[in-house]
Amino acid sequence: MGEMEQLRKEAESLKDQITAARKAVQDSTLQEAAAGITVVGRIQMKTRKTLRGHLAKIYAMHWSTDSKLCVSASQDGKLIVWDSVTTNKVNAIPLKSSWVMTCAYAPSGNLVACGGLDNMCSIYNLKGKDGNVKVMRELAAHTGYLSCCRFISDTEIITSSGDCTCILWDIETGTQKTVFAGHQGDCMSLAVAPDFKCFISGACDFTAKLWDIREGTCRQTFGGHESDVNAIGFFPNGNAVITGSDDATLKLFDLRADQELITYQDSSIMCGVTSLAPSLSGRLLLAGYDDFNVNIWDMLKAERVGKYMWKLYIPLENGRKVDPAEDSEGSCRVAAGTEH
Amino acid sequence: MSSVNQEEEELPANHTGPKGVINDWRRYKLDSVDQTVPQKKRELLRQMSNPRDDDKERQNRKMSAQEYELIQEEDERCLKRYRKQCMQEMHERLSFGPKFECVHELESGEAFLEVIEKEHRLTLVVVHIYQHGVKGCEQMNSCLDCLAAEYPTVKFCRIDAVATGAAERFSSEVLPTLLVYKAGELLGNFLAITKHFNEEFFATDVEGFLNEYGLLSEKEFSACGDDEDDAGEVE
Repeated sequence: MGEMEQLRKEAESLKDQITAARKAVQDSTLQEAAAGITVVGRIQMKTRKTLRGHLAKIYAMHWSTDSKLCVSASQDGKLIVWDSVTTNKVNAIPLKSSWVMTCAYAPSGNLVACGGLDNMCSIYNLKGKDGNVKVMRELAAHTGYLSCCRFISDTEIITSSGDCTCILWDIETGTQKTVFAGHQGDCMSLAVAPDFKCFISGACDFTAKLWDIREGTCRQTFGGHESDVNAIGFFPNGNAVITGSDDATLKLFDLRADQELITYQDSSIMCGVTSLAPSLSGRLLLAGYDDFNVNIWDMLKAERVGKYMWKLYIPLENGRKVDPAEDSEGSCRVAAGTEH
Repeated sequence: MSSVNQEEEELPANHTGPKGVINDWRRYKLDSVDQTVPQKKRELLRQMSNPRDDDKERQNRKMSAQEYELIQEEDERCLKRYRKQCMQEMHERLSFGPKFECVHELESGEAFLEVIEKEHRLTLVVVHIYQHGVKGCEQMNSCLDCLAAEYPTVKFCRIDAVATGAAERFSSEVLPTLLVYKAGELLGNFLAITKHFNEEFFATDVEGFLNEYGLLSEKEFSACGDDEDDAGEVE
């Protein structure tokens, strides 16, 4: 038997072992476990505020941890920090490049970052001494577009790129601390775990990967999607991962069981998912699709409980707190409020 | 997703997220090429969309090496023009579809079902269930008459509760009721909708209410394209 053939057989047998191990721990399905839970009922989303000011399509937005301030990035070459309560613009930061794909708000509220086709992640200090917002660092090393960035702290940020890697940066020195390589396709999005110990990335190789930030290793890989994984997020308790894909479905993966729990799909939905956000309680999942619609899913029962059409403004959801945002061209669907 | 062999081929259509940015940039590049030089455009098209089907590895990469080289400092005027174009396209997408002029009276339950199921998938259908003598219905009817004129892409209808054949369901307590459909799906179900308004309400109140639920598109959105947005200003 040639060496290649031998290795191939070994790989196949390992895959079978993984499948068997996953099956062994599968003592129930989510549907069975959730069977007795009361139905959520139709959700009708209501606009709370409209944030006007951008002059062109809005490509990305991110909430601050205080859920009052948020930052948005637009094709008009501006990064705007909004006070969502008063709808005032707190800062309007001009960018060098109009082709911005992502923006992020640091947990401390001191910094914001953005990046896109310039292959760089630019960090801005909102609390500069003289009151002006300036570029603090330009993190350049990726050889592909910057699809997503998320702060760990004021000194560390993680970026995902079209060059198939994710990088953990030291903001002070502007250097790479760790390169997370392993994806076989463009990395489209990333999310940091609530305990900041790991992060997940979704890529165009149809998989999502869980990375250990300190060790720099890939701990788990989740497959099953039939197309690019565009959006990714943690379930609020940090034990599960939600992915959204061009195959028009979303999937929920449990980290400890190392397998898919459920797929959120409907035969009438035929276009890809490009953003997602679970509610604080984790009962609802808002999913933004490429046809500019937002579908609201009951996470436990895997049923659609609401739909929201794209509009040229930014609406906020009534009654429930949802952390990150939906984004679609020309508008941002941002959801916040207080959980009852 | 990618298959370019013709001249005026439409490039892959991801509208949102990072892929949306890539596609916008591609279209921008194509548009900014001098139109009188068709050769250049063909060349650019070729550069931008290499057939990836034969190379499995390239399928997972969204941008080619040549495309990365094309990214450069952009002319602000060209960019402005392109942004306006983008906004215009989005508007057209919103107002695409059949146009209506006034509120349609539905004569029966069948007519009701037909209008919900048969309308164009992009057309919003608003049905007002009313009954003579029930408070608020007449006011709602006149409000919808106004809105029907202002929102030609929305199909406003009304039906007498008795005509629905399900009059028992629509007692005077739940009337007037407004139901909103699109592509056969129920998007909004507002029973006794007048409880949200004052005793005297107008078309703008109904309009505002529907807007709150994201059901009506903005009539006219001026992107203030000509105003310069001052950088760093605090409001």
